[in-house]
Amino acid sequence: MKCGSLPHYFSIEDIFATQERLPCKFVVPVHRLGFLDPSSESEDIAVGTTVELPYWLAKSLCCQRRNIVTVEMPKIYKEPYREILKADACVVDLHKFGLFFYEFGTYLSQLEHRDSVAIGSVLVQTFKERFRQVMDWAHNSGTDPLIIQRLDSLEKALFQEGYQTRAQLDAWLNKGASQITTAEMVINYKKRKLAVLDDL
Amino acid sequence: MNPEEVEFIAENKNVSIVPNFNFDRIYLISGDVGPFRAGLPVQVPIWMATNLRQRQKCRIMAPDWMDTEKLEQVKEEESQSRFFTKMPSEHYMVEAHLLLGVAAEDIPHADEIRTILKDIWDMRMSKLRSSVDAFIKTGGSYAKLDHLTTMEINSIRPLLPHALDELYKLQKVVRIFMSFLKNITLQNEQYQRKVF
Repeated sequence: MKCGSLPHYFSIEDIFATQERLPCKFVVPVHRLGFLDPSSESEDIAVGTTVELPYWLAKSLCCQRRNIVTVEMPKIYKEPYREILKADACVVDLHKFGLFFYEFGTYLSQLEHRDSVAIGSVLVQTFKERFRQVMDWAHNSGTDPLIIQRLDSLEKALFQEGYQTRAQLDAWLNKGASQITTAEMVINYKKRKLAVLDDL
Repeated sequence: MNPEEVEFIAENKNVSIVPNFNFDRIYLISGDVGPFRAGLPVQVPIWMATNLRQRQKCRIMAPDWMDTEKLEQVKEEESQSRFFTKMPSEHYMVEAHLLLGVAAEDIPHADEIRTILKDIWDMRMSKLRSSVDAFIKTGGSYAKLDHLTTMEINSIRPLLPHALDELYKLQKVVRIFMSFLKNITLQNEQYQRKVF
């Protein structure tokens, strides 16, 4: 995953994050879509049915103009779990919370839900508190590789970057510079090079 | 940037050498070097100095600051101050690394200098780490990077800028939503005022 930029249209991580399912409760009857709820046998969806829908579908069904479903937050973003994160975010295994904890959380806080603001601020707080830990792990070459499995994908990407920089710096401090390599852009440049022209 | 690229930039700094050969002035894009007279000190870029030294063509003179007493003083200052203090050279670590690597015999007390520099470096790195942490925690909007050398700044890139980007993205969502809520309550108030 790439850090530091907005997710582009085809970003696979972004697509995965919007795939996560949300429990939604229908507030209007919907005809001929009974197959969405595998447990019912009727042809229509009745009022009050709860179905798990992916975020991208739930988002467009619950806006103010077209109020078809009400969204319930997944349990990892609910009050008890938010309290855990507020108490001490550093000891939590975020990977168990969800692979895309931050991304999905950001999307959830864009829904017009009464918990939206609380979720958004918990995300910011959690990120701030856990950053020190991620940075320390990245800067210590003897980090236990199992520990990385406790990070969500965003933190993992940050960790990888930090780890690589630190490895390069350590290598330089120990043995000095290696050969500077040509930038990829220059190698892949399709024009004929001046040096090649001279040989002709 | 890689550490190698920072080193490449630092190699353009000048250092005094005492050549043991005679040669005319050399004309380079970045400036003229020489003329070389055997036994007379001359200023050359570090990349040239290391090359000449490796071929036993010269003796490198330690830069002024590469001296145990001066470095001890710098170290003392650094440990007293809460902030980063000014280093004697913009690329102190790279210069020391290059010169001590290739010409440890030419520089007096090379081993001591190496130890002191390592101490200073470690101290500054731990300061850097704690200030980065404080910066993220307090949510400051700008940081002063006075007296940080290129290699030190480079050591927290791209981790810090990218973390700040992500933080900004998370905060932006909250802020947008807050203003949205504010608008709604404002509209409601106006509406109520009209009704009553």
